[in-house]
Amino acid sequence: MALSKPDYYAILGVFRDASLEDIKRAYFDSAQKLHPDKNVAPGETELFLEIQQAYEVLANPKRRSLYNATLPPEIEVNTAVKHEIHFSRPNLVKLGEPQLIYALLEVSSREEKSALPTPPLNICLVLDRSTSMQGEKLDIVKATAIQLLRSLRPEDVLSVVSFSDRAEVIIPASISPDKKKQEGRIQMMQASGATEIFNGLEAGMREVRRTLDPSRVNHIILLTDGKTYGDEQACLQLAEEAAALNIGITGMGIGNEWNDIFLDALASRTGGSSAYISKPKDIERLLVEKFKALINIYADDVLLELKEQEHVKINYVFRLQPEGGSVEIESHMHLGPILREAPLQVLFEFLVSPEALNGDALSLISGSLKTSITARPMPVPPIRLNLTREIHSNPSAEPPPTQILSALSRLTLYRMQERARTAADAGQYDAAARHLHNLATHLLSQGEHSLAKTALFEADNLERMHAWSASGHKDIKYQTRALLLSGVKEKAR
Amino acid sequence: MIVCSTCKHANMAGAMFCAECGAQLVGKDSLTTQTINTDNFKKVAKGYSEDDYQPFDGSDAWGSLHLLDTGQVLPLTSRNEFTMGRISEGQPIMPDIDLSPYQAYAAGVSRLHAVIKRDGGRLIFMDLGSANGTYVNGKRLNPNAEQLIHHGDIIALGKMKIQILIKHDK
Repeated sequence: MALSKPDYYAILGVFRDASLEDIKRAYFDSAQKLHPDKNVAPGETELFLEIQQAYEVLANPKRRSLYNATLPPEIEVNTAVKHEIHFSRPNLVKLGEPQLIYALLEVSSREEKSALPTPPLNICLVLDRSTSMQGEKLDIVKATAIQLLRSLRPEDVLSVVSFSDRAEVIIPASISPDKKKQEGRIQMMQASGATEIFNGLEAGMREVRRTLDPSRVNHIILLTDGKTYGDEQACLQLAEEAAALNIGITGMGIGNEWNDIFLDALASRTGGSSAYISKPKDIERLLVEKFKALINIYADDVLLELKEQEHVKINYVFRLQPEGGSVEIESHMHLGPILREAPLQVLFEFLVSPEALNGDALSLISGSLKTSITARPMPVPPIRLNLTREIHSNPSAEPPPTQILSALSRLTLYRMQERARTAADAGQYDAAARHLHNLATHLLSQGEHSLAKTALFEADNLERMHAWSASGHKDIKYQTRALLLSGVKEKAR
Repeated sequence: MIVCSTCKHANMAGAMFCAECGAQLVGKDSLTTQTINTDNFKKVAKGYSEDDYQPFDGSDAWGSLHLLDTGQVLPLTSRNEFTMGRISEGQPIMPDIDLSPYQAYAAGVSRLHAVIKRDGGRLIFMDLGSANGTYVNGKRLNPNAEQLIHHGDIIALGKMKIQILIKHDK
C-alpha cells in the first residue's frame, strides 16, 4: 500500500476507533455532498467512489478488522489544519476551594494561502425594510447592495430578501443573473411595516438552500434596525438548522433600537457574531469588509464536540479572532471560521471543583474538533482535543504565557462592560456605575481616551438617571470588542 | 483565593485579572505598558556624529530621541509637540512619550517630566516642574522656562540621558 494514499478512515474523516454509527454518519454526510447526481467539480465522482469503497469495508466488522491489520500504526497527522493550545498555568494545584484555569486554542490552516482557490460565495442579504429604515438608511443599504452585486465574480451567487412584517424575495439565488434588472429591483425597495425577523430569515434560508453547496461559502447577512417581537425562539431554531447545513449567519444592527443580545445569540449558533453600525454611513464599509472576510474563508466553521467532564465547568468561551464574540456553551460548540490569513482563536475559562483533584491529572476537555475546508470536497479527519493538566500540590512559579495574558487583559475589559450591563439590568445602578468607572480607568491607561469618556458618561447617566443613553451600552460593548481584535492584530504585525 | 491588591476583592484561585476592578493579579512583570509605536525602533551603536544621522527609511519622523543608556531610538513623528514622562499604574497621566519601559522610574523620571516641541526650524525644550530636574548638556533648567536646543544636544531627565537627533531641513 502506497504511503501517500490516505487510508479509509482518513477518506471518511473518522477516527480509527470510530463506532459503526460514526462511520455511517460520516458516510452519509459525504455521500450527500459528492453524489454523482449533485456534484459539479471534476474528480468528485471518483472521490465518491472512494468513499463508497471505504464505507463498504469499514461498515462490515469482519472486513474492517482484516483491513485494520494491514494499516501501519496510527499517526494522527491532519494535513489541512493545525492547532495549538496555551494554558494559563502549567498545572492545577491541590486546593480545598474551586479554582480557575484558562486555555487558548488556536486553529489555523496548514496550507499556503496561494495554494487554494478562493471559494465561490453563496450569500443572501436579508434586509430590513420596516418603516424606521426610511430615508438615509435604506438609501445607503440599497446603494451598497447594488455595489456588492456589481463586484461579484461570475461564480458567486448573491440573493436579496427584504422583510418587514412579511418577506419578499428581491433577487432569487441563481448563477446566471441579469444584473441590470436586479439592480432595478433593489432600487424599487420601499420602506413600510414592522420588523419581523423570522419571516426574513426564513426566506433568506430558502434562497441560500437553493444554491447550497459545501464548496461555497454559504452565508446569510441580516441587516436590521429594530427589535423583533415574539419570534425570537423560532429564529434561534432556524439558526440551528442553518448551522447543521453549514450556513453561517451574521447579524448587523443599525442604530440604537435593535436587540444586540438576540442578534449575538442568533449568529453565535452558527459560529458568527453580530456587528454594530452606529451611523448609517458605516453600512457600506462594514458590509464590504464582511464580504472580504467571507471570500477569505478557509473553513467556514470549526465544531467542537465534547463530553462533559465531572467537576469541571466551562465558565466562558470567547472567540477572539476572526470576529470577536462569545460562543454558546453546549456539547456541540460552533467556534467560528478559519480565515486563510487569520487563525481561529478561542479562549476558554474552566472552573475546577476540589472534588476533581483526586488523581494525578485532570482532563478539562475531552472531545474532537471537526471542520471542512470550503474549497475542497475531501472530508477532513477530526482532530482529537484533550486538554489535560497535571495536578501538583504546589503552584508553579512560571509566569503565565504572554498570549493568554494579553488576550485576557483585553477580554477583561469586555467582561467588565458585560458586568455593568448585568448589574444595570438587575437595577443595581451603583454597581453598574462602579464597573464602568473601573473600565474607564483601564481604558485611560491603555490610551483609549474617547471610549473611556463614553464609559464615564454612561456611568454618570446610570447614577443620576438610572438608564443608559440611547447608544451608550452598544458603543461600549462593540468598541471593547473591537479592542480585542486590535490587540491580536498588533501582535501579528 | 487571591485578594486583589487594588480593590481587596476576593478572586478565585487561578484568576488572572480581578473580577471586580480588572486589575492584573499575576505575572505583572511580564507585561509592560507600552504606548509608543515600536515599529520604527532600531538598535543603534552609541553616539552619532553631526552629519551621519539619517532618519529611518520611509518614516516621516522629523527627529528622534536616542536613549544613551539602552541604545534605543524613539522616533518623533506625526506631530510637533511631545510630553515626556512615565506612566504609572492607577494614575490617569498619559505622557506622549512613555519612558517607563526604559527604567524611567529608577532614573528618577517624573510622571510628567518635560516637553519637547518643534516651532518652525527651532526646537524648544521645557521642564514641567519635575522632581529630579531636567538638564541640557549638563546644565540644569529652570522649571517651566523654555530653552532652545539643537541637534546633538544631550538632555537628561533625572539621570536618564537622551541625545537629540534632528533631521536637517533641505
